[in-house]
Amino acid sequence: MTAATAPPATPRAWRVPRPARPARLLRIELRRSPVLWMLPLLAVLFWLSAYRTAMSNPPFWTIRAAPLQANAMLAFAPLLAGVCAWAGSRDGRRGLVDLVGVTAVPRWAAQLAPWAAATIWAEALYLAGVAVVYGVTAHQGAWGGPLWWPVAVGVAMIAASCALGFAAGLLLASRFTAPLAALVVFLALAGGAFAIQDNVRYAQIWPLSVQGPFPAGSYGIFYPYLPDLAIAQVMFLAGLTAAALGAIGLPAAAGGRWLRGAAAAVTVAGLATAGTAVGLAGTARVTAHGIVIPALHDAASDRPVRYTPVCSRSGIPVCLQPAYRAYLPEVTAALGPVLSQLAGLPGAPVRVTQVAVTSVQSERENGIGFGGPVISGRPPVLYLPLSGMSLPGEGNVSAAQFTSDLRQLSGPQIVNDLVGLPSGAAVGTGVTSIDAVMGARHAAQVAVARALDQIMDLTQISAGSAARSGAGSVPPLARQEAAASRRFSALPAAVRHAWLVTHLTALRAGRITLSEIP
Amino acid sequence: MNVEVAGVTRRFGRTQAVAGVDLEAGPGVLGLLGPNGAGKTSLLRMLATVIPPSSGRLRLLGRDPRGYARRREIRRRLGYLPQNLGYYPGFTVSEFVEYFALLKEMAPAQVPAAVAAAIERTGLADQARAKLRTLSGGMLRRAGIAQAIVNDPDLLLLDEPTAGLDPEQRVAFRALLRDLGQRATVIVSTHLVEDVGAACVQVALMDAGRIVFHGTPGELTARADGTDAAGDAPLERGYSAVLAAARAGAGARS
Repeated sequence: MTAATAPPATPRAWRVPRPARPARLLRIELRRSPVLWMLPLLAVLFWLSAYRTAMSNPPFWTIRAAPLQANAMLAFAPLLAGVCAWAGSRDGRRGLVDLVGVTAVPRWAAQLAPWAAATIWAEALYLAGVAVVYGVTAHQGAWGGPLWWPVAVGVAMIAASCALGFAAGLLLASRFTAPLAALVVFLALAGGAFAIQDNVRYAQIWPLSVQGPFPAGSYGIFYPYLPDLAIAQVMFLAGLTAAALGAIGLPAAAGGRWLRGAAAAVTVAGLATAGTAVGLAGTARVTAHGIVIPALHDAASDRPVRYTPVCSRSGIPVCLQPAYRAYLPEVTAALGPVLSQLAGLPGAPVRVTQVAVTSVQSERENGIGFGGPVISGRPPVLYLPLSGMSLPGEGNVSAAQFTSDLRQLSGPQIVNDLVGLPSGAAVGTGVTSIDAVMGARHAAQVAVARALDQIMDLTQISAGSAARSGAGSVPPLARQEAAASRRFSALPAAVRHAWLVTHLTALRAGRITLSEIP
Repeated sequence: MNVEVAGVTRRFGRTQAVAGVDLEAGPGVLGLLGPNGAGKTSLLRMLATVIPPSSGRLRLLGRDPRGYARRREIRRRLGYLPQNLGYYPGFTVSEFVEYFALLKEMAPAQVPAAVAAAIERTGLADQARAKLRTLSGGMLRRAGIAQAIVNDPDLLLLDEPTAGLDPEQRVAFRALLRDLGQRATVIVSTHLVEDVGAACVQVALMDAGRIVFHGTPGELTARADGTDAAGDAPLERGYSAVLAAARAGAGARS
């Protein structure tokens, strides 16, 4: 049947659309974004996960920055993915697909508004939290300046988790999509956290890794913070974001052929970027100052940071990097008894200088071995790395605990170094990794070293029992060595000192036997 | 003609929802009547460019909606109220209407006035700042109508617009329809024949995916003359008579 109604009226001229005003759509979405209602919960999560952790540590920028990336993201990302999935599934759940589907603005463009609103709120809260943490840190007088790369990773992670959740909600609209998205992101992050422990290359792309196996505080002080890994992580997350946002433009209803082609290009480019970032992470290598990715590495980052050390006024001055200024009394107190015993001996240090980690030893499950102090140079200087040590105020570590730990850890290593016990590495570079293999060849040195340890209350000597030492357990002393050690430690201090002044060079050269020890 | 439909069919799997419809409509209010499952909603969804026809030719506002660019042009001048209106519970009436005004690519400067006018015309001025979740079913329906007319469309497609409206609102709505029909093509799908009698200048009656009658309400009423068609009102008796005749004819053909 064909029929006609009234004759046509004079048609209106086709309006030429003005450029779209995404800002007005965004304004509405900002007012009604579900993330807005989640802000109090996100704030509590930030406080619990990032703020408390950061503030329970000493005011070092690196230490304060690390939780802003790792801890905050572990708390934020799953929740955001879920909330954004909820926002993305809005039209499907609410039966609005037909209605919004026949509007002129391409769906792809319109759908970006609720994602952007959700992301903006989450980013705003995160950055506000960062501002508080950094503001307090600056107020506490931290040396140097704030680290922005961990924050950049956090910002990228928020955008990515929201984009992934949003795309999942939009493409698989269901009331179950939101909790599933949150669960999947949580499991992915948790799985990634385990992978980071075992793999120092590809797995480090996971945004929970700040500087690979390095603990916060062991990088970014003597040398600039190495942004190589963070750049790769931002690339990875930006790629995921682009791929997810591109994917929502692929369905036929999303727009015209050109627009969908652009969405496909964005998706492919995003995946390529993320894949490239993973590939770059695969080339990563652990150096003494952090993770280096050759293709992203700036050689300028290898130049040490210039600073004027802060020194104690003790007989043997102890000089620290100014970031550690607050700990100068504790370090001086820890090393004082050891240094006073060694004063005047040939090869004894005339100064203590804090140094950066210059060599690292990757240890499965235990992270990084940083080594210990070493004496070298003419005049001899004791080079002391503090990286990797728990500082006063870090966790439950008190100043007294730190002083004791430093003395017990460094004292035996200083003595070992002075008497010429072999050490793993790095004579002259500032770090000794003590993997000493002590045998009969070094029996006299071991006996003297343990005697000095005992005098300085650093170790307990007993034949057949393990003696404590700086970087690990030392094999039990043989009975003869223990006897020589007791004999030597029982000498009057002046006699012992005089013997060491005359015999230390020979002892260090391995020309002294156990029987020659008085 | 704002609407030109020729031989349009639409299948959903094995179901033939629309089985060869021809229809032309210019400015004025066209009532689309028919029993449940007659294909009214499917036809409206095709006219609204929600779904494409399985076959046949469709021209809306002088444009072929198959190309995306043309479809987008049509959509700027289209108003659509689906049968099941979804809404964002957290939006206010004003935000909801503004949201669709923006999605319809209205000139930004015109949006505030257009939103206010649409809300006013649907009698929701007092509820403009109320969240949609707080509105009654009738008010929600009116909010849906407001979003449909906010862009002053040349083609307005309303699927069961009076469902949930109280008698007073329905009277007002019919007046609104007549007013809109002065310039635009308004196609109203409804079960309520009194709405058609009061507001429509043309009626199309669908059954089993086909248009079995197209004419004025008076012509539809006249179809009952000389029959014992059931119905409380003359238009209802005409409706019943046409359906009975169509089904008898279909039965005879088969």
